[in-house]
Amino acid sequence: MADETITVRCACGWETTGPEDDVVAATVEHGRRMHNMTPTRDEVLAMAVATPDHQDSPAR
Amino acid sequence: MARYPDGFDVEGPVQAEVFVVWLAGDHLELTGPCGPAPWLLQVGPAEHPVEIVTRIVRDVIGEPLLVHSTSWRRDREAVILSFVVVIDRALVGSMASLPVGRSELARGEATAAPREIATAQVVEHGLRHMAWLAKDDPVVAAELPAGWRECLAGYVPEPFRNLG
Repeated sequence: MADETITVRCACGWETTGPEDDVVAATVEHGRRMHNMTPTRDEVLAMAVATPDHQDSPAR
Repeated sequence: MARYPDGFDVEGPVQAEVFVVWLAGDHLELTGPCGPAPWLLQVGPAEHPVEIVTRIVRDVIGEPLLVHSTSWRRDREAVILSFVVVIDRALVGSMASLPVGRSELARGEATAAPREIATAQVVEHGLRHMAWLAKDDPVVAAELPAGWRECLAGYVPEPFRNLG
């Protein structure tokens, strides 16, 4: 999964797409800053989905 | 593992639901990082809900004028504490914002909560709570920006209550 582009969507509308490490970092930061939550790497990966078109777009 | 089949979502036995409200001329509007939608925060077992809401609002939006818990209910497999947060218009920036609509309150039975509670009903109760505080609490009365009292005049004051 490390080479895949993955996507995590938050119920609040926020979304991030990119390589695994970037998505994990962005999601942990979003959870901490916006929702007072600190998901683990495993939790982030469990909520991630493979990006359908597999484009190399950076996490945002 | 936590339940994340549909992506990231706030969970935990206690959650805070934040409604960020500001005075837009002659009416109140809902805004926030989620736009006018409720902004959900997790409240940990050792955390004080008011402190968490105040800190997160301060970090993400800026210094709030007022932070008040206005109701609670059982929902999302958790106890949801609803907060009305008043901010200055200068903090709204590019956040999406919509005028607050009016709604009938969700009413329960003598010993039972309402079966369904819509977000608009939570906001309606929150602003009725603020209308009550504006008359009853000198700190709130002093902190509310000019024009708020006129906007709250149309709300029937009600204190904190269980919505569900």
